[in-house]
Amino acid sequence: MTASNGLFALIIVAALGFFASNVQRLVGFLRIGRLDDSRWDAIPRRLANLITIGVFQKKIFRDSIAGPMHAAIFWGFCILSAGTVEFLAAGVVPGFSFARFMPQWAYRFYMGNQDLWGALVLGALALALFRRLTKSVKRLQGAETHPNDPLFILSWIGLLMITMFLTEAFHMVGHPEAATPFYRPISFALAQMVAFVPVGAANVIHGINWWAHGLLVLGFLNYLPYSKHLHVVASLPNVYLSNTSGPGQPGVMKYMDLEGDAEQFGAKDVEHLSWKSLLDGFSCTECGRCTSVCPANTTGKMLSPRKIMINVRERLETRAPVLLGTAAGSAEHDAKTLLDGYITEQELWACTTCRACVQECPVSIDQLEVILELRRNLVLGESRFPEEVVPAFESMEQRGSPWAFDPGERGKWADGMNIPTMAELAERGERADVLYFVGCMGSFDERAKKTTVAFAKIMQAAGVNFAILGREEKCNGDPARRMGNEYLYQTLARETVDTLAKYEVRTIVTACPHCMHQLGNEYPQFGGNYDVIHHSVFIEHLMAQGRVPLRQDLHEAVSTFTYHDSCYLGRYNQIYDAPRDTIRRALPVVNLVEMPRTKDKGLCCGAGGGRMWMEETEGKRINAERADEALATGAQAVAVACPFCMTMLNDSLTSRDSDVKVYDIAEVVAERLA
Amino acid sequence: MKLAVCIKRVPDMEGRFKVGPSGTAIDETGLKFDMSDFDGYAAEVAIQITEKLGAGEVTVISLGPDVVQETLRKALSMGAHRAVHLKQDAPVSDGLAIATAIAAELKDGGYDLVLLGRMAVDTQNRSTGAFVAELLGVPFISAISQLNVEGGVVKARRELEGSYELIECPLPAVVTIDEGIARARYPSLKGIMAAKKKPMESKPAQLGAITYQLEKLELPAERAAGRIIGEGRDAVPELVRLLKEEAKVL
Repeated sequence: MTASNGLFALIIVAALGFFASNVQRLVGFLRIGRLDDSRWDAIPRRLANLITIGVFQKKIFRDSIAGPMHAAIFWGFCILSAGTVEFLAAGVVPGFSFARFMPQWAYRFYMGNQDLWGALVLGALALALFRRLTKSVKRLQGAETHPNDPLFILSWIGLLMITMFLTEAFHMVGHPEAATPFYRPISFALAQMVAFVPVGAANVIHGINWWAHGLLVLGFLNYLPYSKHLHVVASLPNVYLSNTSGPGQPGVMKYMDLEGDAEQFGAKDVEHLSWKSLLDGFSCTECGRCTSVCPANTTGKMLSPRKIMINVRERLETRAPVLLGTAAGSAEHDAKTLLDGYITEQELWACTTCRACVQECPVSIDQLEVILELRRNLVLGESRFPEEVVPAFESMEQRGSPWAFDPGERGKWADGMNIPTMAELAERGERADVLYFVGCMGSFDERAKKTTVAFAKIMQAAGVNFAILGREEKCNGDPARRMGNEYLYQTLARETVDTLAKYEVRTIVTACPHCMHQLGNEYPQFGGNYDVIHHSVFIEHLMAQGRVPLRQDLHEAVSTFTYHDSCYLGRYNQIYDAPRDTIRRALPVVNLVEMPRTKDKGLCCGAGGGRMWMEETEGKRINAERADEALATGAQAVAVACPFCMTMLNDSLTSRDSDVKVYDIAEVVAERLA
Repeated sequence: MKLAVCIKRVPDMEGRFKVGPSGTAIDETGLKFDMSDFDGYAAEVAIQITEKLGAGEVTVISLGPDVVQETLRKALSMGAHRAVHLKQDAPVSDGLAIATAIAAELKDGGYDLVLLGRMAVDTQNRSTGAFVAELLGVPFISAISQLNVEGGVVKARRELEGSYELIECPLPAVVTIDEGIARARYPSLKGIMAAKKKPMESKPAQLGAITYQLEKLELPAERAAGRIIGEGRDAVPELVRLLKEEAKVL
């Protein structure tokens, strides 16, 4: 071991030590977050997520250009890291090589890969730099981002690659006997180009590059904790710990204990968020995929899910040291909170909870959890929310529906249809196989009632033994929960669970994806466990069994449909095919055209997350954006499978005197009933 | 500063009303009850005064059966400090008898300002506020849309058709609140939790002598359905004829 080896060893120890202390500091920051013990179960499922989303970059590939580009850098990073380990070890122990531990062919294969991936990474970096410098990709811009950071990082990695190749090439020039042409082709070609350099000089240049590469590697490692590039360290653990792609049903809001004597409901500052949300902040590398699919952001509203995550990290890094006692608070720090100081109320209320951001995030960040926890504080803690939602809250409380309709009129749509209520059946000592949970829209809204009647007629034609709750039905509470009013939500949820228990309900059908999501996925939090089937799945199933008698004539006035995906049916419950198949079965000659944003990339109608009850004055209306997209397909009609989507699209199309009509899939089928 | 707000529990006016079996009261089955809107504004105004001062106490008072405690609890969750329930199980429609009970409670309470809604949204009698002021022997300003209390003086504004009045009087005083002054806040969960621990006193209402009784309650006759007499230009003569001869408005 030479003095130079000793010096290098010292540098490695110092660099690793400094890195470790930074990691420890940041992990310590996570401790200020709230407990969340829902992250340690389902190890096989989490490993599967880690492999598909992390290692195989499943979500990264949703972008067809950035996907392969990032994958080349990521896989290159993994493979070249092996070379880096060998490099560092050889710097301390002269002559160290993996060749000692493996057969020659394997070592040559490994070395060949170093060259190959080094070149791929360089190519990908060039593309990435081009995209950054020409500002050709909109999602990479944004006031909240740190625009110089990526340029710095990309250049640094580029230098790492260049010094790696030069080190190898000049080594070949200096040691012609060790030149290995065919399994390090790129280094060898480079060596050929600089073969004119005398051996002595080549060894000096090799030495310079060797040291440069070594210092760049260790420097890069220590730059990470101070940069958005921390995602290199945080992303894989984040993907493993995330619940956004399972285990469990995605999109289920966390239960909140309202009985305890909590001082703080929801989140006002970073210490009220779960530690996992804080790790989300560390994992964000500001790629902007979330913001680029956000219906609020893309129609000109302030909300940007990326900004939310950047704000979480920014606030955490100033807040945590104060809470942990490692830094003194300043007047400026103490006067601020995450809410108001970083994120405004206006941003939070713009969210439709459509889950497009969560779906898109390549590292499984849950932006929605942060938004909804902040909303919970606004409503439960501070009673701050748009004034126009007060009537909705009060009506849900008073009348069990967000609209001021008489609860006694809830079952009125069924007058003369011979549909029993559960109470009537119970009185006669009878039972229904299926409960039709109609929902508030389906019960009171004039347009949605047509869907309700259509679905009921289909079930009657198919001989389904079903009943409704009539005046005993109440709002499932979804709007209240999504608007942050957990107290009102839990009151409504418990009432409905009690009503359903009274009739020992097992199987529920509904034409409303919000009712379905609540009853099926969130009511287990209150002991309500039912088999909840959306009408698209149910009708499709009945048709597949040949139980729905249809007219035989094939002539149809409307032959080109486009189907608009409901967020709560699609991204929340992964139902994409059933509604489309239902239309195809009802109209064998139909031409189903897709909008550009479809299925799990579908654009929200703008009504979710309580937006239905709020004014939309900022930017373009989301429903108008979606209606434009539907019209651009040239379809003669738009099909929906959600009463909220129905209202939103119908409103926009009607306001422009369009001939294009909106139909619920049940109406399409009912129209064809024999 | 001590403030009192009188609150009435009323049925949801969006509900479908039926006359109960007694013939003098509505059938309450299926109806939802809440604080009368104007009383909600009055509570909000009082709470805002104490919040602005950073001191003072708001007492909310309601007369009726035990269920009115629910409504009082809501006012507490909005931010009122204590509640008094004047227990009275049988319904009373005589405003003076009710005002007598309220005045008896207020008399020795040392209240600087008493606020009521300008009327209860169900019965719309508009009498209680004035009676209470008279029985307490203090100044009274009705149906105000702005209120400012400073240096022992109440300054209030009342909307008139196309104009307004500004009225002043010394404290103690009674005021009734019109709409437009403040929206009743939606109670936060924090407020709801805090309300559970606030004092609620229940005592029998000392009603005054009943001076009149409600004899009978009837629903208005159902309006006849509208008629379509035609469309466009041709229908105009017939419309004019009907407006002249049947409706007699022309």
